[in-house]
Amino acid sequence: MDNSQILLATVLLPLFGAILMGPCARAGDQVARGVALLVTCVTLYFASMVIHRFPADGGTGQAFAVFDYAWFVGADVAMAPAPRIQFNIGLDGLSVWLFGLSALLMVSAVLISWTAIRDRVGLFYGMLLLLESGCLGVFVARDILLFYVFFEFTLIPLFFLVGIWGSEDRRYAAMKFFLFTLAGSVLTFLGILALVLWDQHHSGTGQMRFMIDELTTGLRAHPLPPGLQSLVFLALFAGFAIKVPLFPLHTWLPLAHVQAPTAGSVILAGVLLKIGTYGFVRFSIPMLPDASRTFSPWMLWLAAIGIIYGALVALVQSDIKRLIAYSSVSHLGFCMLGLFAFNRPGVQGGTLQMINHGLSTGGLFAIVGLIYERYHTREIRDLSGLARRLPRLACCMLLFTFSSIGLPGLNGFAGEFLILLGIFQRAYSESAFAYQGQMLAIAVLSVSGVVLGAWYMLWLVQRLFFGPLREPAQHEPTQHDAAAGVRDLSPREFLALAPLLVFVIWIGLQPGFFLNRMGPTLSRLTDAARAPSPVVRFQNDPTMVRFASGQVSTRE
Amino acid sequence: MFAIEKLILWIPALPLLAALITALLGPKFLRSTCHIPAIIGIGASFLFSLLLLTEVRREQDAAPPGGFERIVTVWNWANLNDAYEHAEAAQPPRAVPLRIDVVMRIDALTSMMLCMVTSVATLVAVFAAGYMHGDRGYWRFFSYVSLFVFSMTMLVSVSNFALLFVFWEAVGVCSYLLIGFWYEKPEAAAAGKKAFLVNRVGDFGFALALFLIWTTYGTLDFHDSQSVDSIASNATAVAADDSLIAASVANPGTSGVLGKARIASGGYVGGAVGFVICALLLLGACGKSAQFPLHVWLPDAMEGPTPVSALIHAATMVTAGVYMVARCTPLFMASPDAQVLVSCVGGLTALLAGLIALTQWDLKRVLAYSTVSQLGFMFLGLGTGSLAGITAAMFHLFTHAFFKAVLFLGAGSVMHAMGNVIDMRRFGGLRRIMPITYGTFLIGSLALAGVPPLAGFWSKDAVLGAVHDKLHLYEQQIELRHAQGGGAADATTDPARAGIGGLETLTDGQLVCGIQAYGWLYYAATLTAFLTAFYTLRALLLTFHGTERVPHEAHGHAHESPASMTFPLMVLAAAACIAGLFFDQTYNASLPSGQRHSFAAFLASAPQLAAGAVGKTPALDSFHLSVAATSVLVSLAGIGLAMYLYLGDTREVRVLTSLFNLDGVVQSLDVRRVFRWRWVAALDRMARRAGLGLVATVTGYLLGAVLIVVSAPLLVAMYVSPYRLSQRKFYFDELYDWGIVRPLRGFSRLLASADRWLIDSLVNFVGAVPPAIGAVCRRMQTGLVPFYALAMLLAMLLLLASQL
Repeated sequence: MDNSQILLATVLLPLFGAILMGPCARAGDQVARGVALLVTCVTLYFASMVIHRFPADGGTGQAFAVFDYAWFVGADVAMAPAPRIQFNIGLDGLSVWLFGLSALLMVSAVLISWTAIRDRVGLFYGMLLLLESGCLGVFVARDILLFYVFFEFTLIPLFFLVGIWGSEDRRYAAMKFFLFTLAGSVLTFLGILALVLWDQHHSGTGQMRFMIDELTTGLRAHPLPPGLQSLVFLALFAGFAIKVPLFPLHTWLPLAHVQAPTAGSVILAGVLLKIGTYGFVRFSIPMLPDASRTFSPWMLWLAAIGIIYGALVALVQSDIKRLIAYSSVSHLGFCMLGLFAFNRPGVQGGTLQMINHGLSTGGLFAIVGLIYERYHTREIRDLSGLARRLPRLACCMLLFTFSSIGLPGLNGFAGEFLILLGIFQRAYSESAFAYQGQMLAIAVLSVSGVVLGAWYMLWLVQRLFFGPLREPAQHEPTQHDAAAGVRDLSPREFLALAPLLVFVIWIGLQPGFFLNRMGPTLSRLTDAARAPSPVVRFQNDPTMVRFASGQVSTRE
Repeated sequence: MFAIEKLILWIPALPLLAALITALLGPKFLRSTCHIPAIIGIGASFLFSLLLLTEVRREQDAAPPGGFERIVTVWNWANLNDAYEHAEAAQPPRAVPLRIDVVMRIDALTSMMLCMVTSVATLVAVFAAGYMHGDRGYWRFFSYVSLFVFSMTMLVSVSNFALLFVFWEAVGVCSYLLIGFWYEKPEAAAAGKKAFLVNRVGDFGFALALFLIWTTYGTLDFHDSQSVDSIASNATAVAADDSLIAASVANPGTSGVLGKARIASGGYVGGAVGFVICALLLLGACGKSAQFPLHVWLPDAMEGPTPVSALIHAATMVTAGVYMVARCTPLFMASPDAQVLVSCVGGLTALLAGLIALTQWDLKRVLAYSTVSQLGFMFLGLGTGSLAGITAAMFHLFTHAFFKAVLFLGAGSVMHAMGNVIDMRRFGGLRRIMPITYGTFLIGSLALAGVPPLAGFWSKDAVLGAVHDKLHLYEQQIELRHAQGGGAADATTDPARAGIGGLETLTDGQLVCGIQAYGWLYYAATLTAFLTAFYTLRALLLTFHGTERVPHEAHGHAHESPASMTFPLMVLAAAACIAGLFFDQTYNASLPSGQRHSFAAFLASAPQLAAGAVGKTPALDSFHLSVAATSVLVSLAGIGLAMYLYLGDTREVRVLTSLFNLDGVVQSLDVRRVFRWRWVAALDRMARRAGLGLVATVTGYLLGAVLIVVSAPLLVAMYVSPYRLSQRKFYFDELYDWGIVRPLRGFSRLLASADRWLIDSLVNFVGAVPPAIGAVCRRMQTGLVPFYALAMLLAMLLLLASQL
């Protein structure tokens, strides 16, 4: 098979798997689980095949493995060329790792739900596979309407996952999540329509173009006037910022995370939040570069506030899942910070951080799920000293924690380092003089977020895993002896976490491998928004001195 | 003989290998033999370090004048093209790639640090094999220790700021894991977290410094990435021309921040930016090296196993800050204010920690504060910014590693025998039970106290001498200026010279300020030397002398430790005796290179110390007899006082304690006593007899009120008496707890409730608007035709009215 066919197969396979779940469910729960695992594994294999063939230096930054199919072609009416909406998919540097991450996390999600889900198993895995198809599709779509279809398509399976298999308050959480996101994405749709129509009127041909690349080129050639550009930016912002979620639009996230089943949380944190940041890089920044630049101080402030705010609120949570949910707000703030720094370190770091967050937070949610499965509680105060009972689990938790707090040698550091370097560079030498003060404030604030991040995560680890062993008394009649029922990681659970850990370490040791593949695309997408020319510092700065041999003036 | 490029890779690789082997095979197969891979790995790495040292010594003689260094690139970590449009003075902006390689360097500083780290680590690993025997986390311990040795050896041998930061944090994590090694003890877990967080605050500064270096210099490498010779020749050619900034600056990205070319041409930024970079680097160093105000984590870190305290929290990791500042010497030379700051932080910390150590009862904490204090000495030396001071600081680092390790391991040996009791009030007179431990501890104590000819004397004296010299240099300079009469004007008016490290370029204000600072610091350091001698001997005498007391936790069989523990003690004690002999202060650049074999001369072949501003500072050219005599007298006084107080009767100690606790003052100002005086009572009775009862009562109350107001400050003094201040560690923990941690937690709570009640309610409010509109509209759908007709009519009327 050639690359584009494999890519197509990767996207469609989970869809067929989901349909297959119907008969499988009748054959028994175990069959449904097995088939779901098989489907996700094969999908992962296909995905890794395409990624393996992706050019190692990122090529020219153009899409790779393009599959094109004219999906909707209207008839020409009254001299106007018909709109042409295509089922056009392909990978480029921005999407390649997000695509791989989605395929990888889904395998973990299936393994993690193996025993946790006992009710309507077939339907559950069907929903999960539908979600996978949507997630993979959203990153490979090269047509703006196709993107929007996948974008909305991811909502529905997750709505059911939360609403059916969630915890106590699941209905409310599912509804809130759904409506909140939908409200934003409707505005995004309006923004997209505005872009397409503007392009149609100014391209000269009267052709309605939906291909993202063509649209971007067209909008660069005939940019929107500043006022309209800002308006459209805000419309797109509504959908993407809610998805990210950017402070103060984040309140659906802790609720949804707490109520969602483990697999739902893993996918939500690992993949779905990234669609928001992906949207900013794919649409807002390249298509509306001037508005992006205008709004960038605002975006950076929101990101920096989100970093600090998320960390501080996480510090006082009593529920493990809420804590990690707020940590997501903080981490996604880092992503946004990097992306809106517009320079190379910032954008590449921000994109890498999307992957990092998916791995580390996905892993953390999986571990919380494993703890919940064992003790049926998510309250931090109910648990203590688990490292004695669950040493292997504690070891994994520690690694994911270190990854999450940006410990060098693991993936989080590579992302955060580049982001902070980027924002500092932006603040110190690339922004206009008027902005420099507040940019520096943003940079310093966000660096201090790293300290706070270590605080709440290490506090969590200390409370859960260290100290004297304390486990909640279990009241369920099915488990007679609470202590005997609690076991360390089983091989299945370990297999769910191990692939994530491999990447956590790999990205930490050799981020260049990952960065090289996305560099060219990211430069292509964000260079237009980059400040036209850097402010020259030290131009006449007398402090630039030297004390070479013989250069020191001797006093007369 | 050996390719040093290979050696430098094997030195960290072997401990890493040992860590992996122990982690993978430890729990299942190795079990109680987990120490073997660690000892072999670290030991071999020590041998390789020695080889490296001799090779460096051999090669440095043939090195070009810029100093000796060798660079080994291992792999590319990340590479971003055109990351930065770098703008330099008089140059158009140019695109600079952000290229971070995993790259190691070989020079004198690195090889000396490697020898120190691996030698102490080997001995500690041997010691731990006995000390940790039977612990259920045996494999975990050796795995962590090997990992630490890997990180530490990498830390001192990488050649890039980003990687320095990487391993800076990596050693922090090993420290976190090892402090919390007995994680079931809540104090241990809390201490680990505290250490990590306080270090993170330091790392915050380090990270900002790193970003500032990147935006200022356009590279993070220490070394020049071009061929060194071509840049150097280029640089000297350009340096002669005053109109251009040197070649190193003209090629951002190719000449490293601490590279030979930049050092030769002096392309460093001074002024505010230079100062901020140095101050932030110093903040990072303060975190790792436990300097004021970030010193609070180190004493708590003593919750970890004692071999860890010896290795990480006394000898190696805490000296990373000193190493870093020494490595960044050229940056600090560009900012004399920052150097004064370094010295002040060091001197203040040394004094503060010395004062706290006086009254602690926990043997390990005395040693911990002593470590903080000695690290302060090193910073004091670094801050002098002269070759003499920096090499003295590094020499103190070197000798301190040995005698502090022997003290900690001795404390561990005591703990081992006493059933993990470490409170000095609960044991005593152990010299007969543990003769070897006693002997080695004695040598360590005397070395720490600065008794000649043990190691501590030489290095401490070198630091004091360097401060002394610096002071005199400044005084001479200011006298010279007075003699010339107001000639300082051009130095102040020419800001281009303000940032240069040379003496002539300092303003008068800076000189006066420096004289004040270094003068006070010299006295503070001398006082600290006295305190050091006192508290060290106090610990020694309380533990090993006096009546023999053994706590019941020892279960009646207190004994000398096994050979695996006493052997490292003896080796380290021997090192503490002879390490001073390496120091020959004469550094005379005019000597032929083959004859410069003193410690200082060896270190001075590292490029950062060899050339540029620091290379031209005067080195100590003679042994300061006056300084040495003072320090010996002071330390003998301290030893004498301790022996007088703690040998034999303890009554004097109690008297002194109550004196410093201001007991007498407090008692004499107890206001209630006034009313017990006989003549007051008599006066009162007389007044009441005379029918003036009311007057007497009111007078009494007034008198009482006045007395309370008068004595209120002294009541406060009761809580902050000198003794209490020392005992409670100057209340730093409480200060941070109430000043930072609790307010921040309170604020977080506020935010969390705002998140739930304010932001979320706003969202819900927005969500409630459409249903509300719907509810209003629903009312109108009554289905009654007359209602619709009426509405139609009214609306038409309204329209008509609006048209009129």
